[in-house]
Amino acid sequence: MTSDTPADRRADRGRGLLARLRSGRATPRGRGRRRLGTAVRLLAALFLAGGAYTVFAPGLQAQDTPQLSQAAEDGKALFDQSCISCHGRNAQGVEGRGPSLIGVGSASVEFQVGTGRMPMARQEAQAERKPVVFTEEEIRQLGQYIQELGGGPQLPDGEMLRTGGDIAVGGHLYRINCSSCHAFSGGGGALSSGKYAPSLEPATDRQLYAAMLTGPQNMPVFGDNQLTPEQKRDIIAFVQEGLKTDGDPGGLANLGRYGPVTEGIAIFLVGITVLVFASLWIAGKS
Amino acid sequence: MSTDIDTTTQQHRQPAQVSLDDPRLTSFDVLREGARRDDIEIVHYEPPFPVSGTRAERRISRFVAGLFLLAGLTATAFLVVYIWWPWEYELGTGISKFYTPLLGVSLGLTLLAIGVGILTWGKKLLPHEVAIQDRHDGPSSPDDRKITGGTLTYMVDELGVKRRPLLGVSLLAGLAPVAAVAAAPLVGGLIRDPHTDNQMATTGWEPVETVGGGTELVRLTREDGSPIRPADVSVGGQMTVFPGIPGGHTNRYADSPTLLIHLRLDDARTARENNEAVGKPDYMWGNYIAYSKICTHAGCPASLYEQQTNRLLCPCHQSQFLITDNAKPVFGPASRRLPQLPISVDDEGFFVATSDYTEIVGPDFWERP
Amino acid sequence: MKRRKFDARALPGKAAGQLDDRFQAATPLRKLLNKVFPDHWSFLLGEIALFSFVVVLLTGVYLTFFFDPSMEEVVYDGSYAPLRGIPMSAAYASTLDISFDVRGGLIMRQMHHWGALLFMASIVVHMLRVFFTGAFRKPREANWIIGSLLFWVGFLAGFTGYSLPDDGLSGTGLRIASAIMLSIPVIGSWVTSSIFGGEFPGTIIISRFYIAHVLLIPGLLVALISAHLGLVFKQKHTQWPGPGRTNDNVVGERMFPRYAIKQGGFFMIVFGVVALMAGVFQINPVWLFGPYEAAVVSAASQPDWYVMFLDGSTRLMPAWELTIPIGDGYVIPPLFWPTVVLPGILVMLSLAYPFLEARYTKDKASHNLLQRPRDVPARTAVGAMAVTFFIVLTISGGNDVFADKFFISLNAMTWAGRIGLILLPPLAYYVTYRICLGLQQHDREVLAHGVETGIIRRLPDGRFVEVHQPLGPTDEHGHGKLEYVGWVVPKKMNRLGALGPAVKGFFFPIEKPVQVPPPAHVAIDPAEEQPVDPPPADKDKKPADREEISSGSR
Repeated sequence: MTSDTPADRRADRGRGLLARLRSGRATPRGRGRRRLGTAVRLLAALFLAGGAYTVFAPGLQAQDTPQLSQAAEDGKALFDQSCISCHGRNAQGVEGRGPSLIGVGSASVEFQVGTGRMPMARQEAQAERKPVVFTEEEIRQLGQYIQELGGGPQLPDGEMLRTGGDIAVGGHLYRINCSSCHAFSGGGGALSSGKYAPSLEPATDRQLYAAMLTGPQNMPVFGDNQLTPEQKRDIIAFVQEGLKTDGDPGGLANLGRYGPVTEGIAIFLVGITVLVFASLWIAGKS
Repeated sequence: MSTDIDTTTQQHRQPAQVSLDDPRLTSFDVLREGARRDDIEIVHYEPPFPVSGTRAERRISRFVAGLFLLAGLTATAFLVVYIWWPWEYELGTGISKFYTPLLGVSLGLTLLAIGVGILTWGKKLLPHEVAIQDRHDGPSSPDDRKITGGTLTYMVDELGVKRRPLLGVSLLAGLAPVAAVAAAPLVGGLIRDPHTDNQMATTGWEPVETVGGGTELVRLTREDGSPIRPADVSVGGQMTVFPGIPGGHTNRYADSPTLLIHLRLDDARTARENNEAVGKPDYMWGNYIAYSKICTHAGCPASLYEQQTNRLLCPCHQSQFLITDNAKPVFGPASRRLPQLPISVDDEGFFVATSDYTEIVGPDFWERP
Repeated sequence: MKRRKFDARALPGKAAGQLDDRFQAATPLRKLLNKVFPDHWSFLLGEIALFSFVVVLLTGVYLTFFFDPSMEEVVYDGSYAPLRGIPMSAAYASTLDISFDVRGGLIMRQMHHWGALLFMASIVVHMLRVFFTGAFRKPREANWIIGSLLFWVGFLAGFTGYSLPDDGLSGTGLRIASAIMLSIPVIGSWVTSSIFGGEFPGTIIISRFYIAHVLLIPGLLVALISAHLGLVFKQKHTQWPGPGRTNDNVVGERMFPRYAIKQGGFFMIVFGVVALMAGVFQINPVWLFGPYEAAVVSAASQPDWYVMFLDGSTRLMPAWELTIPIGDGYVIPPLFWPTVVLPGILVMLSLAYPFLEARYTKDKASHNLLQRPRDVPARTAVGAMAVTFFIVLTISGGNDVFADKFFISLNAMTWAGRIGLILLPPLAYYVTYRICLGLQQHDREVLAHGVETGIIRRLPDGRFVEVHQPLGPTDEHGHGKLEYVGWVVPKKMNRLGALGPAVKGFFFPIEKPVQVPPPAHVAIDPAEEQPVDPPPADKDKKPADREEISSGSR
């Protein structure tokens, strides 16, 4: 300030503000004072430069993480907690433990996590359906994260993905594409070396759609060019209405719809047993 | 514990023969006499209720009667259900799903009630008896044997074939073709040459002869006949394809269904190397490979494709084929690799089969080339 | 004209007289009415087969009125919505009609199929009974052969029958049958193309199977069953050894009325069981399988249980292909051995068994008395081996279902089946043989030392001994002098008296109040060491409950 000392202030009072500012100090400063002021100014300038650099220069983390939406951020937090040990940082995959999830899409996440298959309990031939660990919201967030990380197939909106599906067409498509692994009844079947195609009984519409779309583990991928969304609706309508909820007209018990294996067991365990007891009664002493 | 054939049978004969004109005979005595004449001795005969009207007897009679009445009731229930219960099929659940079970249960209960009723009657209300019957088995008496043997021999002599050998020989020689005549129409009508038109080595993928005289390659189509572009099959996906000819997806061409698989990059590379190693250099198109779906073991569609292990499992007898190695069998009873369909893409971008299969499709047979 | 009074009571007599005038029926009828049949529960097993055959015939006739055995392609337009508009063969469409559009059609279809499964199951059970008791020996070898043929003809009946609907599951089976025919050396391709009328599937096979299934095979079955029953009638049924029974008589009850009533009642029970099963358990839901298409298959594809052992042998067979390098080279595929050679060997073995055993045991005698399985350990052990073999194959036929539902690796199931098939039968032989010998020894031990009473006595020198109840007079050492006669030795106190349980009731004892107080207690002098006398005859029981010479009711 121009008026540092009381004497200078008294001297400055007589002039206007503008004159004071324009003309600077009325009396020159001491040398020590000048040196201090230079030092202060220098320091201030340094701080300014450094601070500006810090604010505006690109940070280290911004180099490999794109800007994520809020949902994806939440998902990333969940991922880093539960999935990273096998699927690696940024879902790049870990050799011998978990594949890369780049490009699998939110549909895969919804299927694997939504059926409880993931997080997998241990390394084994196949992930099996088990109680779901995450809530719906968390699954959505995880899916969003993976989707934003590497893209991939996504499920259409809505809970019921079978409206308008033709069950006869769906049945025909099911028998050509699906029954070889999942059986005519949808009860599932064995694959080689401990793997299996699971029963479709607990699957929801969205899970069926997601499985077809993403081809989890050893299931082949049925992309939207191969089975159009309309055809997928037909298949889902067939499975849910034509197979699962259609009551068995032939009996009170359907013997698991496995066919001759359980029928053969039933004829011996029920039929022959009852009749042998009947013969014992008939020919024994009364 | 061997017994001789000729043991003397224990004769259980009543001491005196009964005269059937004796008016003192009861019907049981008549019965007994008749049994005796059949070498049957009734050694124990015990009516369960010699005194009629006991409580036990009435209880059992009521029980049997109750069962018969129950049978009548359940039979009526059967008829009522049969006529009036809604039975027409509807999708989902509904009481029509109980039509067959109700019919079965009511019929079953009816029959069981009748059966148990009849059996209780027989077991508890009829006399218990033990009867012994002589078997009189074993060979016929030596006299009978001699007589029959002699009669037959004489018969043969009477025919005189020995005396007139010409008759015998001519009979055989002449009648043998007659037997063949009887069998000929059925057998001959049934017999069909399996190799007419070389049908065992030809499938629906054989290029079609066009009007102009050339041949047109057959397109790969879905079950609805629509042709297929490479983009239609995702990586790690498989599609069942049929020849794009009329009826190509029907059982008329039961040897033609083919599995089109889009392999991953590394797997496709391995597959192509293995293809070339056995002299099938251009059978793949890009990363796409096509194998016959008809298992070479017993002909079921081998369609359980495991996209990560690249094994194709056939569900009938669990043969497993390794897609990346010429679909050769790696487990199970199959002994021959699956035939590979050579594919390419035509001008319009649709998959075509560049030729028919070069190996026999389906199960093996004796003269398989 | 004088009107004759209508005497209703004399009518049956008059009618019988008219019949006898013409047919001379009195004597044969008496013989039939009086014929004696032995009475043991295991003799009723063959009748399960007979009665289920009748059920299958009756329901089958019903089905022929609605089934259309044509492979012509039609578009389904019935009530089953998931298949509406789908092209399929007329055979499949008519089966769907029977199931959904014919009132009561589904219960008849199901009774037919359950009856068929019961027919085959009871044949197997009956055959095992005949085998393990030695009823196939001379003079009944022919009946055994007829019975074995009945199994195989029944097998064919079942196979042609379940292939008729031309559905996805049985069509796959038909494909495999065509491959089996193809695998036969030299003539294989000709056999297949002749039977199918060309390349698989052709357009005629269902019609051919139909005529085989409704005419040729039932005709053959009826003829064989009649011969089978006729032989039993002529040669009379075998019987267990026991009191009053010899190789030359039959002890039992006469045909009418009691035995015939039992037959009739049992028929109703068998029919009732089939109907109940048909109502309670769904069987062969062909609508879920869809029509047969060459590109369609399901996981868990098996034939019916009596064919499943062949499916098992096919799955277990290693991929051993025989190539014969003459000329262009000929091949015998691995399918030939488990599906053609193995059943051929089994048929031959089963037909020839009575003669093989007779030659091995050098036994040319005629046998009408049965043997307890423990008394012929070699045969019983061979039978156990055969049963084990059959069961391993049948389970292997369903190995993908077991693998899936019990979380076992499919490859491991196949290997387990291969190894089990070789190792388990000899193991079963050995174990069964030892068990038979042990049981034989126990029988003789009880004959010699008596029945364990469970009463423990303390001797003065401190030893504990169990009191044994001798079965008869004993010699100076205290050993029984009774010989083993080939029948059941009573081993429990409540079986003494007359070879029947003295306490009635099967699951729970039926207790009757005691009428008269029991006789006074007799003190036992330990110094005498005399065996206790057999319990006195129960004077207090009513005559009606008295068990006299019974007809072997174990």
